[in-house]
Amino acid sequence: MRRLAAALFAAAVGAPAAMAQAPDPALVERGAYLARAADCTSCHTAPEPGSPPFAGGYPIPSPMGPIVSANITPSKSHGIGGYSLEDFSRAVRAGVAPGGRHLYPAMPYPAYSGITDEDIAALYAYFMLDVAPVHTSPPETELPFPFNLRPLMIGWNLLFGESGFVSDAGASAEVRRGQYLVETLGHCGSCHSPRNALMGEDRSRFLGGGTVGGWVAPNLTPDPVAGIGGWSEEEIVGFLRDGYVAGKGVAAGSMAEAVEHSLRYLSEDDLRAIVAFLKTVPPIPDPSLARPAYDWTEARPVAVTEYETGNGPMQADLADSGTLDGAILYNGACASCHGISGAGTPDGAFPSLTANTTVGATNPANLVLTIATGVDREGANGHAFMQTFGEELSDAQIAAVATHVASRFGNPDVAVDAAAVTELRAGGPPPWILAAAPWLFVAGAALVILIFVALLGVILGVILGRRHAAA
Amino acid sequence: MATTFDADVIVVGSGALGANAAYELARQGKSVIVLEAGVRIPRWKIVENFRNSSKKQNYNSPYPNEAWAHTSYDAEYIENTGSFDFRPGMLKLVGGTTWHWAAACWRYIPNDMKLRSTYGVGRDWPIDYDDLEPWYGRAEVALGVAGTEFEDQSGQGGEPFPPRSTPYPLPPEGKTYMFQRLQSRLRQMGYNFIHEPNARVTAPYDGRPACAGNNNCMPVCPIGAMYSGVVHVDHAVKAGAELRTDATAYRLEKGEAGRIAAVHYRTSKGDDVRLTARYFVIACHGLETPKLLLISGVANSSDQVGRNLMDHSGIGLQFLADEPVWMGRGQIQQGGIFNWRDGPFRARHAAIKHAPSNYVPNTAVAQRLLKVGVLGSELDRRLRDEASRWVDISTVFEMLPHPENRVEPNYDRQDALGIPMLKVHYDIDDYVKAALPVAMNDFRNFVRGMGGELVVDDTGWQNRDHLMGSVIMGADPADSVVDGDCRTYDHPNLFLATTGVIPASGVINPTLTGVALSIRLADIIAREV
Repeated sequence: MRRLAAALFAAAVGAPAAMAQAPDPALVERGAYLARAADCTSCHTAPEPGSPPFAGGYPIPSPMGPIVSANITPSKSHGIGGYSLEDFSRAVRAGVAPGGRHLYPAMPYPAYSGITDEDIAALYAYFMLDVAPVHTSPPETELPFPFNLRPLMIGWNLLFGESGFVSDAGASAEVRRGQYLVETLGHCGSCHSPRNALMGEDRSRFLGGGTVGGWVAPNLTPDPVAGIGGWSEEEIVGFLRDGYVAGKGVAAGSMAEAVEHSLRYLSEDDLRAIVAFLKTVPPIPDPSLARPAYDWTEARPVAVTEYETGNGPMQADLADSGTLDGAILYNGACASCHGISGAGTPDGAFPSLTANTTVGATNPANLVLTIATGVDREGANGHAFMQTFGEELSDAQIAAVATHVASRFGNPDVAVDAAAVTELRAGGPPPWILAAAPWLFVAGAALVILIFVALLGVILGVILGRRHAAA
Repeated sequence: MATTFDADVIVVGSGALGANAAYELARQGKSVIVLEAGVRIPRWKIVENFRNSSKKQNYNSPYPNEAWAHTSYDAEYIENTGSFDFRPGMLKLVGGTTWHWAAACWRYIPNDMKLRSTYGVGRDWPIDYDDLEPWYGRAEVALGVAGTEFEDQSGQGGEPFPPRSTPYPLPPEGKTYMFQRLQSRLRQMGYNFIHEPNARVTAPYDGRPACAGNNNCMPVCPIGAMYSGVVHVDHAVKAGAELRTDATAYRLEKGEAGRIAAVHYRTSKGDDVRLTARYFVIACHGLETPKLLLISGVANSSDQVGRNLMDHSGIGLQFLADEPVWMGRGQIQQGGIFNWRDGPFRARHAAIKHAPSNYVPNTAVAQRLLKVGVLGSELDRRLRDEASRWVDISTVFEMLPHPENRVEPNYDRQDALGIPMLKVHYDIDDYVKAALPVAMNDFRNFVRGMGGELVVDDTGWQNRDHLMGSVIMGADPADSVVDGDCRTYDHPNLFLATTGVIPASGVINPTLTGVALSIRLADIIAREV
């Protein structure tokens, strides 16, 4: 404890040089683990292979446009090397950088607001002492008006800036640890909780399912149909660690990144704590769903003789790749790995398309985007990879093959059209605030609304603050 | 200079060699246009064409063969006047003929490149192994080569050879059962099996999934684990290169000071287009490249364009082993016997490589049984038995360059664009024939070593599709088309990216060497443009 205090002191006075003389390896190591659990690298390392860790440059998809992550290496000129512990803490937990510059909530500071002081100190020690400084700056984030006005975040923060979620004092230590991992470090709600009209997390539907860049982040509540109530503890642990569990699902998109950069490094105890907590979250049912997405277990493949006549294509047809026949597209593009019957391989290297949440989901977004962008994920059990088909198939062909796959191996009521594919590949349908913003602007009402939002935020903030105080 | 150009560099041909040159130039900030005679079709469509084809043994059949972009198995397209029917697999589409190949990625060994000075036959390269070595490494990274660094690739069972400055980017795949059985039993007779470095990735790599053993490398890898030139066409386009399909180059136009000024191409609609550039890279296959030079009247002061044509002309052996070896699992070839890769014997006869094929043998077995009238349940029984015991050895010989072995434009036959087709004169030389008894002796040993029952050992000479020599490289402009940098002696801004530059064939598949030379010439051009 004395060493921690010394490190904290050194950190607080902003003297990394002094720390370098007496770094506490245990503190740094703990900070490294926490940075994994908080998945800092997924967003703060550029996506190109070989990009320097934490140097920023990752364009985080948002409905308002890409938000480019910052360099959080300890470079004094281009990163956070000049931050004091207090600066670091305020940026991570309140979304305010030194100088009063407001971060966009693509940085999940509302979730991170719950990070303990000790963990903040460990994270600070790790970033200052164990991360290589990179002296470059990523491109600036350029959002359209009015979202380019960062002070708007003041009002937004009053509404949504803190998680406001308090752990149940009566819960077990394991559940409380799980809650800390899920809510605070893992910021699972950033994707898995729905967002309201003002892009804040809808706390009343915590982990009830959200969207990110067109992908569906599924309902993680214990509801047996809409959520993961039908998943065993082993299955959830396996999914988090490997990104794949037979008979249930495959992690792709941002979840693949979460597995690759964060979850596969968590201890067995922490993974089990996550499951323990998830079981306690209030279930959020969806009355429109009749059965869980993984519960489509029967394959109904088209007979191969229907599309492989063996007569040979005519010369003129050899170069004609315009077909919209989903069975033909599946045979040429998918069946070499997933099989004509959709069964994949027994070892899961090529997953079965039946009993697969991506295929059986009522919302086909993840199926479409998996076909378009593939899968590239390092899990604890190795490297899972599916090549992208977004260049070799048109949007109409992706729609046709997705519809074929859903109808033959998943939910037969699902159908996708080319327009939906185009919209999903562009990041999904725009939220109300983005759709409304230009109109509001033209009507001259934007300012009024924004003032209203800010005022509302202040009022609510005061009320919530009182509640906190009362609690 | 006020002169403006359509591009810094125009690359004619979008196969593995042209695409790698184009990518390296585009990556280094040069403006690049790639011309491709054929079209772009997606992999899934080729897979679909193959599955629906009734000619599954014809590796060109899933690919378009247009009247304005012929492939080589079109009977009309190549007229042969020699004793051998020279007909290599050649495709015309974006990505080129590496859509179907066995993906072997051998390096030459130093003696291969010093054949004349070491053994007194053939020709020397004007560059040596050490000159090329760094680019071999880059080519292996580009293609995603899986290999083992611990073998003597000269085939003598010695220390690791040839020397390498960089590791293979990927580890080798596991040994198939057949490979293990042949290696184990034939090793006792002194035959050294070597793993074949190959461009089938063994882990996800550069957007490609790991090889899953579809055993369909030819005519198409259904999942893209095996390298195809289309990989670097896409990389080049992403790096800023412009790809023009349906653009058959038919004339290189001479300009001032011995430079090439422009390339003319024709589309299937009959449109003629002239494009200018500072540099030109001709990368349209070992047969089409010399044809383009000859119909343009360029680069031929040596009179060697189209001459010295070499393939690794080969023979085959099929037999039934006394145990099931289960040919057809995994990739279609995995290694070979290289005892005759190098040695003083090369003063007298050709080097030899024996490589067990590993395609699914059911068709070959069934054809043989049907031919001798086996039918009904007996056919089923023998098919199951013999397909499990079938062994197929593909043997190649080292050819020497001879000016009489040549490819020319066939002015008597024109394609739909009015461009001459091809005429080839090719005879197997005495250097190869002198090695035939040696190979036949090995064949007998293989059959004996596997307790086998001979099926065929007199296949006659076969194509191996390794085009070399047709625009030969050398130190002397009087007898060579290009120098050691693949730059034509006659035109300082005209480079040839084709295995046709290779002056000494050795016995190894030449694609990796071609890609290494292409990256190297791109580096040279990038410094000059």
